[in-house]
Amino acid sequence: MTATEAAVTAAWRAESARLIATLVRLTGDVALAEDLAQDALVAALEQWPREGIPASPGAWLTTTARRRAIDTFRHNEVVRRHANALAERPDPPEEDDMADQVDHVEDDVLRLIFLCCHPALTPDSRAALTLRLVAGLSTSEIARAFLVSETTMGQRLTRAKRTLAQVRAEFEVPDLAARIDRLDDVLSVIYLIFNEGHTATAGSEWFRADLCHEAVRLARMVAAMLPGEPDAHALQALVELHAARLPARTDADGVPVLLAEQDRRRWDQLLTRRGLAALDRAEDLARSGRPVGSYFLQASIAAVHMRARTAEETDWARIARLYDVLAATAPGPVIEVNRAVAHGRARDPEAGLEILAALPDDALADSPVRAAVTGDLLLRAGRAAEAAAAFDRAAALTRNDAERAVLVRRAEQARTHDR
Amino acid sequence: MRYMGFVKMVPGQGEPPQALIEAMDQHIQRNIADGVFVDGGGLYSETFRTEIRLRGGEMTTIDGPFAEGREEVGGYSVLEFRDHDEAVEGARQLVELHRRFWPGWEGSVEVRRIAGPDEVGGK
Repeated sequence: MTATEAAVTAAWRAESARLIATLVRLTGDVALAEDLAQDALVAALEQWPREGIPASPGAWLTTTARRRAIDTFRHNEVVRRHANALAERPDPPEEDDMADQVDHVEDDVLRLIFLCCHPALTPDSRAALTLRLVAGLSTSEIARAFLVSETTMGQRLTRAKRTLAQVRAEFEVPDLAARIDRLDDVLSVIYLIFNEGHTATAGSEWFRADLCHEAVRLARMVAAMLPGEPDAHALQALVELHAARLPARTDADGVPVLLAEQDRRRWDQLLTRRGLAALDRAEDLARSGRPVGSYFLQASIAAVHMRARTAEETDWARIARLYDVLAATAPGPVIEVNRAVAHGRARDPEAGLEILAALPDDALADSPVRAAVTGDLLLRAGRAAEAAAAFDRAAALTRNDAERAVLVRRAEQARTHDR
Repeated sequence: MRYMGFVKMVPGQGEPPQALIEAMDQHIQRNIADGVFVDGGGLYSETFRTEIRLRGGEMTTIDGPFAEGREEVGGYSVLEFRDHDEAVEGARQLVELHRRFWPGWEGSVEVRRIAGPDEVGGK
């Protein structure tokens, strides 16, 4: 790739969300907007090597795509009137794009995010469409991240765009009442993308970490565009704080390292600081009366871990209290297992075992997590033989080789302990 | 990947025009909204500036004046890009802003990747 081609690609990726968002506003059609944006990219690849990179690549791409939109409409009898209205408006002057249009364009991007996370789409499709249109990733990159073939991902994206057209999804920021529900959809899509990268069940480690960083970037975008929404800052805090721990999550051989055993010097200080600052902003908004949800509690829990210089210094009593609130607001077996861990540390192992015993037998029956936590608490309670059996159960349930090795080792240690 | 960006210029070119200050502000706001900008700030030129130098085993403390004529760093930013091409394009845009809003300005923008915990100086 030549230097100019590299510049075109980089400028395209930096501008594509704004470009596509503007085009969706102008055309009202996601698929057409994407095609026009791609055409503008092709034009840039042809012209910039000859004519040089324009002073404002974003404005150049927008103007080019806008002219093509008008041409396209003129060929289509049905929408001729729409085209005439569009053509009557003059091209925005290229020089002033940043000065005058920045607020307008950021609104477009926000609308695009809401559109990509439309309730008519499945969560997986929302995530894929957001990565395609907002983060500017290619179909093959998204396919790799979600461990499906490029063809499958291409079909999923096409279907998603067709669904949006069929339901005549409105390109607008929903009104306040609807926005609370819809914002929750947007945030959960970003969290899904983060977890897709975070849960390394399979696939290339390297790319999965990249997916976490895309999610962090999206969370920052939404928080910057909706500065009055505490949950947006809380989600940003949550993903920044979890991303801060990524460098310590695996050892040199790629084996997962448990939180208690992580080398905290490897935690990313900058992301930690940014995460804590985002949590402070959420807290300030909460104090002024805006309701907060489970991301705030989860981020608060992550913050307690980040503030402890060593695992031993962790304020487990505070974490246990936070999990109690979380369990009351967003109940579920995963929260209960985490609550058991926290109470097991804050009080005594039996307190944790009681919480687990209260869970229905079939809760998390297929997951190794419940059995592994049970084993850990039993071992701490001095019931080594029962602990070994629990670790054996957990090892049989996991599909991750590295995790299985850890669990088998813990079962053996428990048996040695028992002798 | 994380980068540090520096804006460098030969001192003595006067104060930046208001138009550049506004354009830079918008550029940074945009980078924040894109989730790219993670940290940064301007640097004092003469005050609150000290160099501690070691030469031939001798330590000297210099509070200024600093050698005129060479380019000096006026500000830094920490940015997260997907690859080096994005970092270069970001730097180019910053120079472009100076060309448009500070006629006659001479200087440079440098982007350097920050080595991760497992990389030693990124050789």
